[in-house]
Amino acid sequence: MGLKDSSEAIFSESPGKIALRILAKDKRSIISLSILGVIIFLSFMAPVFSHYVANTNPFESSLNATIIIHGAEKPVLEASTTGLGLGVTPIGPTWNIRSYFLGADGQGRDVMARLLYGGRSTLIIGTTAGLLCIFFSLLIGIIAGYRRGWIDAVLSRILDIIWAFPVYLLAISLSVVLLTSGLSIGFIHLGPGSFALPIVIIGVVYIPYVARPIRAQVLALREREFVRAAVGTGAKHSTIIFREILPNVMPSVIVFIPIIVSLSMLTESALSFLSIGVQPPAASWGTIINDGLALLYTRPIVGLAPGLMIVFTAAALNLYGDAVRDALDPKTRARGD
Amino acid sequence: MFAFILRRLSAMVFVLVSISILVFFIFFATPGVDPAARIAGRNADQQTLMQVRHSFELDKPMPFRYISMMRHLFIDRDLTSYVNRGAKVIPQLSQAIPATFSLVIGAAILWLFAGIFFGIMAASSRRKWIDPTISFLGIVGISLPVYWLGEVVNLITQSKLHNSVFRWVPPLGYVGISESPWQWFLHLFFPWLTLAVLYAGIYVRVLRNEIMVVMGEDYIKTERAKGASEKRILYKHATRMSLMTIVSLFGLDFGALVGGYALLTEVVFGIQGVGKLTFDSLQNFDLPVIMATVMYSSFFVVFMNALVDVLYAVLDPRVRRV
Amino acid sequence: MHRHIKVLSSFAGIAALIVSAVVGTSSASAAAAGALAPYDAKHAGGTVTLVAQAAAGTLDPKVNYTAQFWQLYQATYDGLLTFSYGSGATTFVVVPDLAEALPVSSNGGKTLTFKLRSGIKFSNGKPVTVADVKASFERIFKVSSPTAGSFYNGIVGAAACLKTPATCKLDKGIVVNAAKNTIVMNLVAADETILSKLAVPHAVINPASSPSKDAGTTIIPTTGAYMFKSYNPNKSLVMVRNPYYKEWSHAAQPQGYPDQILFKFGITPTAQVTAVENNQANWAYDPIPADRLNEIGTKYASQVHVNPLTAMWYLPMNVNIAPFNNVKARQAVNYAIDRAAMVKIFGGTQLAGPVCSFLPPNFPGHVDYCGYTKGATPAKPAKAWTAPDLELAKQLVKDSGTAGQEVGIVVSDDDVNKQMGVYLQSVLTSIGYKATVKPISGNIQFTYIQNTSNKVQISVSQWYQDYPAASDFLDVLLGCASFTPNSDSSINMSGYCNKALDAKMAKAKTLGLTDPVAANKLWGQIDQEVMADAPVAVVFTPKQLDFISSGTKNYIFSLQYKMFVSQLQVK
Repeated sequence: MGLKDSSEAIFSESPGKIALRILAKDKRSIISLSILGVIIFLSFMAPVFSHYVANTNPFESSLNATIIIHGAEKPVLEASTTGLGLGVTPIGPTWNIRSYFLGADGQGRDVMARLLYGGRSTLIIGTTAGLLCIFFSLLIGIIAGYRRGWIDAVLSRILDIIWAFPVYLLAISLSVVLLTSGLSIGFIHLGPGSFALPIVIIGVVYIPYVARPIRAQVLALREREFVRAAVGTGAKHSTIIFREILPNVMPSVIVFIPIIVSLSMLTESALSFLSIGVQPPAASWGTIINDGLALLYTRPIVGLAPGLMIVFTAAALNLYGDAVRDALDPKTRARGD
Repeated sequence: MFAFILRRLSAMVFVLVSISILVFFIFFATPGVDPAARIAGRNADQQTLMQVRHSFELDKPMPFRYISMMRHLFIDRDLTSYVNRGAKVIPQLSQAIPATFSLVIGAAILWLFAGIFFGIMAASSRRKWIDPTISFLGIVGISLPVYWLGEVVNLITQSKLHNSVFRWVPPLGYVGISESPWQWFLHLFFPWLTLAVLYAGIYVRVLRNEIMVVMGEDYIKTERAKGASEKRILYKHATRMSLMTIVSLFGLDFGALVGGYALLTEVVFGIQGVGKLTFDSLQNFDLPVIMATVMYSSFFVVFMNALVDVLYAVLDPRVRRV
Repeated sequence: MHRHIKVLSSFAGIAALIVSAVVGTSSASAAAAGALAPYDAKHAGGTVTLVAQAAAGTLDPKVNYTAQFWQLYQATYDGLLTFSYGSGATTFVVVPDLAEALPVSSNGGKTLTFKLRSGIKFSNGKPVTVADVKASFERIFKVSSPTAGSFYNGIVGAAACLKTPATCKLDKGIVVNAAKNTIVMNLVAADETILSKLAVPHAVINPASSPSKDAGTTIIPTTGAYMFKSYNPNKSLVMVRNPYYKEWSHAAQPQGYPDQILFKFGITPTAQVTAVENNQANWAYDPIPADRLNEIGTKYASQVHVNPLTAMWYLPMNVNIAPFNNVKARQAVNYAIDRAAMVKIFGGTQLAGPVCSFLPPNFPGHVDYCGYTKGATPAKPAKAWTAPDLELAKQLVKDSGTAGQEVGIVVSDDDVNKQMGVYLQSVLTSIGYKATVKPISGNIQFTYIQNTSNKVQISVSQWYQDYPAASDFLDVLLGCASFTPNSDSSINMSGYCNKALDAKMAKAKTLGLTDPVAANKLWGQIDQEVMADAPVAVVFTPKQLDFISSGTKNYIFSLQYKMFVSQLQVK
């Protein structure tokens, strides 16, 4: 997923407008945005669904709940009645949207309701972490590339360290510490179990992936005539950065956004899967997959459904990312479709 | 050139030392992590607890402990685990490495072949539906959570269809190639496929776009105008140019893989490689093993990075100044 | 995965003589009930394969403190005394092993005299001598055995050994006579439980040449029917027949059936079940995953063995910090929890039974009562638990003035414990707290919840008895001596210290030396008094489920060490 030099875009009259025009016509962008729209809409309708449709509280254990199927009352968690009578199995999908559409989990909670709530967590964490990551990468990349010298050296070494620290190891070690004690930076205190923790962890982990190419691009821009000229006229650094540098790195940053957001979502779910992301009783797609693992043999749907949701969302984001990239980058566009 | 390599090397050492310090302090910042009580055993007497703390140097100041751990890891090479007392860390690591390499290299061969084959096909095929289809499959590939895919594969091959289609699939785990090459292959077959799907997705996408860009270059247009066949151009220029990109990408991915997706794959498929060892030691809070595996994985990343950098520097002298 | 806990408390007794007499009688009667069947040579041979998720750490029998390896030590190492082979109550009886007979007690129970059997050899071919016995007791201290300070601190000279283990000498405590082959053990004070303490693996006899530090993964020669051949904690542990072994006591160390016992590690619980189903392994060590229970209970019912355990799952509540420094808040938790629901999470009524008494059923001193069920109070208990009383619980929380406070529930992050935590979070929220659940790695949870500096309010924990003595539960878990603030080793997780009750427990222990029946009655009363104060909430008593392959025969369950591995037959 290397970054491409989009220097051509620099001299276009208004590259943003052209890109938007192309995007509006691009089939991929239309399809992916519709999928994302549906998923986001459903996830944010979760309270409505669980309250008015399924009538369950997806965060409350209901180990003794019962439901009516074909006029007969059945416990949501059925104790085995065959053989030695070992084990208790949650009810499978009823395919009835009003109760236990996808069945129950080990706590007797409605999997469908949790799936929608889980989507909220995954989307919020993925998006926020992705944007946080992009923001800090941009900051670091520009400062390092523009100021050069020792500032660049220090920042680059820090990036090297994060980069060389294996992604999941870093995330796991940070999570283990932060989840038990929380995080205190000055007056900001993030309690253990707060959503902000996975956001910060994931945001930090992917900074080098974005910051390094940005830095390289800024370094190259710094040598270009128009930037040199601006420096020569004695313009302020901030002016140069905002007028000359930023507009030129923005296209590649925009290309990064859907990719990093999708990557953050995947990482969030992986961390939750390793039980160090979102903490119970809150749900994310990763934690539901984790819950589903314990039911893989009897109720595989609990683990399958959230996984499919992740695939859909990540694929839609990546598809949109492709469309955006092609719209911003005339080279691939030229021969493309 | 020599100065450049030297600079790169010292940066490498700096990064590794920083990571080891980071791991060490993150570990001891975790509440409840003090291994003394776990080593001493249930309901150990306070005096016994003190003896254990002393014998593991846990009563010494942190910098001393750090240096001592590094000495045992790199110089004496006799660092022992906190959990399996007496179990030396380095043999554990060296036993785990073949499993990880088998997994990663096997998967890499698969994804390189798949990536190159489909990438070229997508970029060159005249049939209209092929490029979008392959691009779409590539997107699905990079969007699959690898651990979830692994679990689904397990569900199908170990449970749902184990008594019919997948009777030949052995139980989860790893068998060394020296023990039985055939069992080695069978045990790794699905892990390879699972791990390769994601990277094949990435490589297909990258390669397709690279070839597209190259094919649009002026000198290719000139050749085309001169009447060279499309196939010839493709093989002569496009493929060669894009393989360069693949090689550098491969250097970076291969290093990062060890601590990333390979870890998840090993955990899901129960392969006793470095990733599984790391994960287990994190679960156990076994700092000596964590330290050794982290050092190993980061060394791999840093080394591959440096290698790529040096190769670039050889090819393009301008880089040396940066 | 939890490692079972084996703890004893030591206390000063007077009439050790009478105690050994009591043990002697019970031994005679129980032996008749469940002695081990004679050896049947035609079933000998083959390999028994056991599978587990992980190894249990060091192989040193003086240091290892896990049920997983104690099960294997039964067939490999021997002490002067041991717990008997057999079935039922017999397996709780202490019998002579390397000693010719139970010790002769004198000096008011402070001196025990043993005679060592002659002709027994270690698996390295060297004979077992009294010098090895003395060295083995000194080695307990040299290697900082976890029980050095709790089991063996009563031996004369132990205090100095605890202080400076490296130079440990028990010249006065263990006096040996090589010519007569005798060992005289001198105690500071008589100790009722000394025989049991000498029967557990930490007191086994190893060669005097064994390393004076934890041997870790290196192998120490054995005396029993099997010896260890190789040990790799990430891979496997191999046991083979000890070439120098000849049966000397069928009850203490009987000949085993398989030629080799292979313990494989690194296999997930669900893969273990599959391996046993497919006859690739003979037995699965780890608890069977919840979603496989129905399958094995239905399709493989004849291969499943369920045995009661004298153990409990319970919720220690920190009585020194809010909100559980208020007795009403603690009682509210006791009333609120739906024990039947938690049994469901554990795997259903076949695998656990709800209780609210501290001493488990079938345990000395246990009385069937429940003060915290619908329609009962601690003062007027019901016979058994029937249903939670959420209304009363809510009222108690309101009365205590702790409503709305934050409560953190610390649980292990394995599936069952995490589910328990999530359920508790739901219940505590419903009775008026702001509850959060904090799952942390199972490997540190046990020590984490002990340390007062971690400020844990409530947690989920388990306790497995060592042998039937009420003090093992009440005194160890709730005695003042078991509470050490700011230490990771403070087994009294509630931090509960009730001086009056402590005195009563001391009285019960003393009474136990002369009148066990009266003592157990007193323990029963203490149980009810403690639970009225509710420093913990007891949830249920679990059962042991063993799943063996179809070709595996002669499954025998020991109350002490669970399944006898060496008695499994595969031929």
